[in-house]
Amino acid sequence: MSIKLFELLLQASIYTVTISVVSILIGFAIAIVISAMLLSRQRLFVLPAQIFISFFRGAPLLVQLLLIYNLLPVIGINVPSIVAAVVGLSLCTAAYQAENLRGGFSSVPVGLVESAEMVGMTPIQIFRRIKAPIALRLTFPALVNEAILILKASSLVSVVGIVELTRMAQDLAGSTFLPLEIFASAGLIYLVINWIVALAGGLIERSLPGVPR
Amino acid sequence: MSVPAIAVKNLVKTFGGSTVLHGIDLEIEQGQVSCVIGPSGSGKSTLLRCMAFLEESTKGTIAVNGEVLGFAENAKGVRERVPTAVNRQIRSQIGMVFQQFNLWPHMTALGNVSEALKTVHKMSRRDAEERAMAQLVKVGLEGRAGHYPSQLSGGQQQRVAIARALALNPKIMLFDEPTSSLDPELTGEVLNVMRDLAAEGMTMVVVSHEIGFAATVGQQIIFLDHGKVLFTGPPQDVFKRPRTPRLEQFLDTYIDRGASMLL
Amino acid sequence: MTFDTNVIFSNLPEILHGAWVTILIWIVTTLAAAVLGFLVAVARRFGGVLLDRAFGLVIAVLRGTPFLIQIFLVYYGGPFVGLSLDPIPAGIVGLSIYGAAYFSEIFRSGFAAVPKGHIEAGLCVGLTQGQIIRRILLPEMTMLVLPPSVNMTIILMKETAVLSIITVPELTATLSAIGSQQYAFVEALFVLALFYWVLVEITGWLGHFAETKLTRFRFFNI
Repeated sequence: MSIKLFELLLQASIYTVTISVVSILIGFAIAIVISAMLLSRQRLFVLPAQIFISFFRGAPLLVQLLLIYNLLPVIGINVPSIVAAVVGLSLCTAAYQAENLRGGFSSVPVGLVESAEMVGMTPIQIFRRIKAPIALRLTFPALVNEAILILKASSLVSVVGIVELTRMAQDLAGSTFLPLEIFASAGLIYLVINWIVALAGGLIERSLPGVPR
Repeated sequence: MSVPAIAVKNLVKTFGGSTVLHGIDLEIEQGQVSCVIGPSGSGKSTLLRCMAFLEESTKGTIAVNGEVLGFAENAKGVRERVPTAVNRQIRSQIGMVFQQFNLWPHMTALGNVSEALKTVHKMSRRDAEERAMAQLVKVGLEGRAGHYPSQLSGGQQQRVAIARALALNPKIMLFDEPTSSLDPELTGEVLNVMRDLAAEGMTMVVVSHEIGFAATVGQQIIFLDHGKVLFTGPPQDVFKRPRTPRLEQFLDTYIDRGASMLL
Repeated sequence: MTFDTNVIFSNLPEILHGAWVTILIWIVTTLAAAVLGFLVAVARRFGGVLLDRAFGLVIAVLRGTPFLIQIFLVYYGGPFVGLSLDPIPAGIVGLSIYGAAYFSEIFRSGFAAVPKGHIEAGLCVGLTQGQIIRRILLPEMTMLVLPPSVNMTIILMKETAVLSIITVPELTATLSAIGSQQYAFVEALFVLALFYWVLVEITGWLGHFAETKLTRFRFFNI
């Protein structure tokens, strides 16, 4: 298999990484909103949030992507397919990240909140200075995990025509009749990217001061 | 006679189906060290936590320096919630030290002690850290100011926790089993800090199994069993001449384990 | 936008067949993956360091690459190494191997989570290796591996949708085809999403039910 083919795969992997990063960030922002709705304990907010999480974790990503890709034009929103793809990925990851955040917040030891109450902090101050920083630190490993999952899941946007790594591999395998080499190379690239993310995640985690025992 | 630091009237606390405190009546005097002792499950921690309004009482009232905290009750037993802002203001007179230290892990020792000064009392960072440092010096930990809780021993963490509470100039200090989570060799350093604090005249309520401390530093001993106050009085009355059989039974286990000062 | 339910009813036989294929593949793959994963976990624990490392490497690759790439390798690359499979067998093989990698990790942490003290107690009273595995290790593991296993079953069920890309006639493929042929995408995809969602919820409930029934195997981790 020639270098040229590998180069093409690498170039396509830039799309993979970009799409994944954007989706993760947008998904995180949405997840914060959803988590806030869950924590608000107001039925008006909790119920839609629960339905959101249940749906986007319950249906396969492929189906979600197809649905959004086909649904948006029908209700009059015409966007390039890449936008539909990112929207689909973001919503899916938002549901999982919201669950992770919820877990993180409920793992904050109660005593730390009580000691904050005893020194006179208001609930908002406690949230800003104690709960949120600690919850985020607790959620971090799950966040890294989710990043890796999204990188792999991005392979599915190939079905809505985005030429990222998997799509490129499919096209090349079809035209060169070298499926083993092409797909194995693509797999290798995914592997390396995920390995780098896991490594970076571990380094960042170790540099964060103090996670409660 | 001055207003009691803490006045507990007919305090009842139920959790779900079970009653933990059966109508406690107590007065904590100003400048006194009161030690609450008793077997596990007697409700000692619950009593202390009600005093701090970390638990809501089911019946009865708690007054701190004359002001009612948490729930006010009129003569007919009708309860009314005290406004949150008032509670917060009353609570600012109380400092609390927990069994699990509860230091915030993402802040250094200095950060922990100065946090409330900055966030709640809006002190400038420099002033807050200056005051915090003074407290750390007081508990002997100025050298560890930049360390994170995970880098400190249990005894050091608890001393930081004490400094954190003291930084806010409380009138009353509550201690909830401050040495129960510590290795035996580390309890000494914490008890010494508490001893010094008592010598300065701080009003303290200490829930603890350290009977030796209670006997030597305590001025009022409160013996709690199954949610009832079985006995209160000065140490001499409690330890040198045990009165109730239950108290005698309780202290026996300590004598067996070598608390010879009780003999 | 109109919602034409007629699309669903007039194609019901085809849709039901697609659903049947999905469920069939799901059950077969889950069982195969669980069994294979269990054997691998046992081999890794009791089979020596070399075997452990080798399997570890393979599992890392299977968990670090997208399932789509793996299934392409099996379906399109297979014939080049003498493995010519039809879509459904290819799908089952690919998904089973993928699932086995994850199941083996679940069982591996299950093994490790049983306190060593319990095993040692068994040795002290004279139980054999086999008896220890059967009477102590496996029962105590059950509670530990149940939640992640239920989770994995759900994941595998959702992954069957990906098989539509290699033309396996399961539900996603069926409804997508109907949707595009009859310009009723929204209806078709909506039913599709609903189907999976309901199945996931049911599986979750069953898993939770099983957990409550098996609490006697739970030991308290202090």
